[in-house]
Amino acid sequence: MTTAEAVTTREQSRARYPDEEGYVERDGVRVFYEAYGTGEPTVLLLPTWSIVHSRVWKLQIPYFARHFRVLAFDGRGNGMSDRPQTAEAYAETEFAADALAVMDATGTGRAVLVSLSLGADRALRLAAGHAERVAAAAFIGPALPIGEPHPERAALRSFDEELDTDEGWAKYNRPYWLRDYRGFLEFFFAQCFTEAHSTKQIEDCVGWGLETEPETLALTHVAPGLATREETLALCARVRCPVLVLHGEQDAIRPLAHGAALAEATGGQLVVLEGSGHIPLARDPVKVNLLLREFVESLP
Amino acid sequence: MSVAQTIAPAREQTRARAPCEDGFVEREGVRVFYEVYGRGNETTFLLFPTSPISHSRLWKAQVPYLARRFRVVTFDPRGNGRSDRPQTAAAYGYWEFVEDGRAVLDATGAETAVVAGLCDGGGWALMLAATHPERVRGLAALAPCVPGLTPAHENYTRFPFDRPLDTDEGWAKCNIHYWRRDFRGFLEFFFSQQLPEPHSTKAIEDCVEWGLGTDPETLALADEEAPPPWTSAEEARALCEGVRCPVLVVHGDLDACQTRERAAAVAELTGGTLVTLEGAGHLPQARHPVKVNGLLRELGDSVAPPEPRVQRWTRSLARRRRALYVSSPIGLGHARRDVAIAQELRTLVPDLEIDWLAQHPVTTMLEAEGERIHPASAELASESTHIESESAEHDLHAFQAIRRMDEILVANFMLFHDVVRDEDYDLWIGDESWELDYFLHENPELKSAAYVWLTDFVGWLPMQDGGEREAFLTADYNAEMIEHIARFPRIRDRAIFVGNPEDVVPDSFGPELPAIRDWTEQHYDFAGYVTGFEPVADREKLRAELGWGPREQVCIVTVGGSGVGGQLLRRVIAAFPQAKREVPELRMVVVAGPRIDPGSLPQDEGLEIHGYVHDLYLQLGACDLAVVQGGLTTAMELTANGRPFLYFPLRHHFEQNHHVRHRLERYGAGRRMDFDESTPEVIATAIAEEIGREVEYLPVETDGAARAAARIAELL
Repeated sequence: MTTAEAVTTREQSRARYPDEEGYVERDGVRVFYEAYGTGEPTVLLLPTWSIVHSRVWKLQIPYFARHFRVLAFDGRGNGMSDRPQTAEAYAETEFAADALAVMDATGTGRAVLVSLSLGADRALRLAAGHAERVAAAAFIGPALPIGEPHPERAALRSFDEELDTDEGWAKYNRPYWLRDYRGFLEFFFAQCFTEAHSTKQIEDCVGWGLETEPETLALTHVAPGLATREETLALCARVRCPVLVLHGEQDAIRPLAHGAALAEATGGQLVVLEGSGHIPLARDPVKVNLLLREFVESLP
Repeated sequence: MSVAQTIAPAREQTRARAPCEDGFVEREGVRVFYEVYGRGNETTFLLFPTSPISHSRLWKAQVPYLARRFRVVTFDPRGNGRSDRPQTAAAYGYWEFVEDGRAVLDATGAETAVVAGLCDGGGWALMLAATHPERVRGLAALAPCVPGLTPAHENYTRFPFDRPLDTDEGWAKCNIHYWRRDFRGFLEFFFSQQLPEPHSTKAIEDCVEWGLGTDPETLALADEEAPPPWTSAEEARALCEGVRCPVLVVHGDLDACQTRERAAAVAELTGGTLVTLEGAGHLPQARHPVKVNGLLRELGDSVAPPEPRVQRWTRSLARRRRALYVSSPIGLGHARRDVAIAQELRTLVPDLEIDWLAQHPVTTMLEAEGERIHPASAELASESTHIESESAEHDLHAFQAIRRMDEILVANFMLFHDVVRDEDYDLWIGDESWELDYFLHENPELKSAAYVWLTDFVGWLPMQDGGEREAFLTADYNAEMIEHIARFPRIRDRAIFVGNPEDVVPDSFGPELPAIRDWTEQHYDFAGYVTGFEPVADREKLRAELGWGPREQVCIVTVGGSGVGGQLLRRVIAAFPQAKREVPELRMVVVAGPRIDPGSLPQDEGLEIHGYVHDLYLQLGACDLAVVQGGLTTAMELTANGRPFLYFPLRHHFEQNHHVRHRLERYGAGRRMDFDESTPEVIATAIAEEIGREVEYLPVETDGAARAAARIAELL
């Protein structure tokens, strides 16, 4: 197991620093968390794919911390959390269990979950399987096997084999990652931010991506999680708490139809963000902050 | 028991929304009248009345708005409105009103409801919430009265109620002997105390009128002699503490009836939220309807199942450039000039999308022009219907008609507000859209786009026979408008006068107020007049196209888009035989317009009668004489085309009798006729004298729409 610190650049000044931080450890894997503020309720910002870490929520934390208590943690595989070197260690059940461990460690009985992209799987597991701990769940650009993928991603032939091209989504390929990891990150986040004038957001994400390594990220790709539409819908059907789904209409990673399907399957409210890509929390932080605050405050 | 209404109430003004169901509940022989609005909505909102000093119309500014989202139930209190007036004090005990409310819920099939009440009604709603928690999902208590919870307001402790006093001054009017002598005097005093906000004349008049729906003896039974609901402050506290549902308490800090301490105690003991309205009195639902509506809606939304709809938000640079055009439906004149301005605006800003929030008859013209009418337009309360209901024979008291449109204006502003909350517009354009301009200045925090105000007259002016009262009221309206503009210059990004400085009347806004023209020149841009068309270039050719013979003398008779003009049309038709004798080549064309059924008019041989004519302006440009009302648009179309015309200002219509007349006299245009003195013979003679006459009017500019559009486009 490596705990390499691949920190590329000095972290920029934060608008707010955590009031509390620490580690939880499960099966020898340490996960780093932060807590901010003292309000009610607690909002747990779940990790998304370990291509980034908890700084992806940097534009939400200072605002939410003024109104709520905020928990965030680095998903295993990035940030200040460990980077175990087996695929099983990155199973969705492990991320969900990490979330519960962080809640336990911080004395958090219930929380509102906010997830981005691949964070949706662990959020659904928690909302369906640990209803007593989840007051509500907000999903942003949820990445779930709940509909047809974008055609250009569907055409991908292999993750593991060397391809005869590096163009476009062919970069989503282990041999390419090992050859030009930064090239992959730059391509991928350019796809995440379809909005014009997103240079800072892309640079941030690429920087966070460089804090882990392609070998580790490849393990997360093959780790077990929801695989079929049927099992996803079955999990959705078990969700009883209020649900909000935010989805960019120009999301080039996961189609808007997926967010709509999740809202429908969970009886949740869908907000379509016209002109937005996959990570609106970074590109349109004010609107996302207001929508999430309104959602949290509307809870009984 | 008396069920008599001692004083016949004045004719009720037009409502913005009619109930879908009404009926009576009867308890121990007392019948209580209720109304239901917004059938089909899932969550019921029960609006309690207050003491029989008033009745359910108290909520007139709330009902139309809330009924778009909730099922709204109101009822008249025993002692006023259409409910009975029992004549025992016991029948007016506090719990009786609570039980009436519960009986109304039963009768309307509402298992649960959000309940709201003002003053006494706030106490009754709270009592229902405390004793029947299974029926109440949320509680809004405005200026709540919970007797004994805290000391009564000092205004009620100054004088004894039932002993003869040696003074009638101030709160000494709150005395049964004075009530018997001068009940109206008491009501006028009382409500001027409860509406301490300046410029509250209409709200006070409403309350006084509703108060006159009961009588001093009945009110004394209810307010003074009824048994108290409990005997100790502890009981009152325990009741408040028993409320389990979400609670909203609203209190104006100038309230002269219920104290802040009492409102704060209700909020604290119920675990509710206290919203203090600074600068507001006892009746914020009447004086600050937009704010109160928002608070009530928020409470309702927080306990009602969410509306199943997909929200959309468009990130800024992905937004299309859009304007919302609000065009006044009073008269068709605005529509033509607004379309012309919109067309010029699209020339300057080609990617601009324009939606129209408009109602009949404006929509008739907009549809013909292929303009996009916002679907919410269908929900607008009809201003034209109201204006017609306010008119008599060739008579429209325009100022009072607008005042008596307050309920419709609030309802239509709330609709506008919902539209612009849900959709992005870069620009709002209001052409004499009074609701928009007034309530944006009253609620400046709601302005979220650039806003342009257009008008062709400035200043409410009294009619001579309105006396001192009308002079006071018009000056008060002008003063409020002047204060609005002075305090919030950021609301109107452009104020455009459709005309020239010389068109502004030489009058004053009122005592100690500025001269209208000076003030208008300081606060407006002048676009020049906007006709919305090019003057007729080749009249002979046009006449040929219209099928008019070269020797025919064509007289067009029209009342524009107004439904008020039937009497004028009939009288001119009666003049037709004589006019035809005097002018043998006469061809008279009567255009009834979109709001008058042509079939309802008398026919005569040789007389043509049409309904709506889309290109009426062409016929007016080609005719030899027109006979019209005193509306600005049609008169100016005739002026621009140099046509002779007779115009008949509507009686009591200050705009036609002052503003339009002033402008036409400046242009030297038209022959003003007095409807009262104009027998068919007089009209026939005037037709014969004027038809075909060569005229020398001042020229009317043709670039008004372009000038207006250029000023507006700067905001896009």
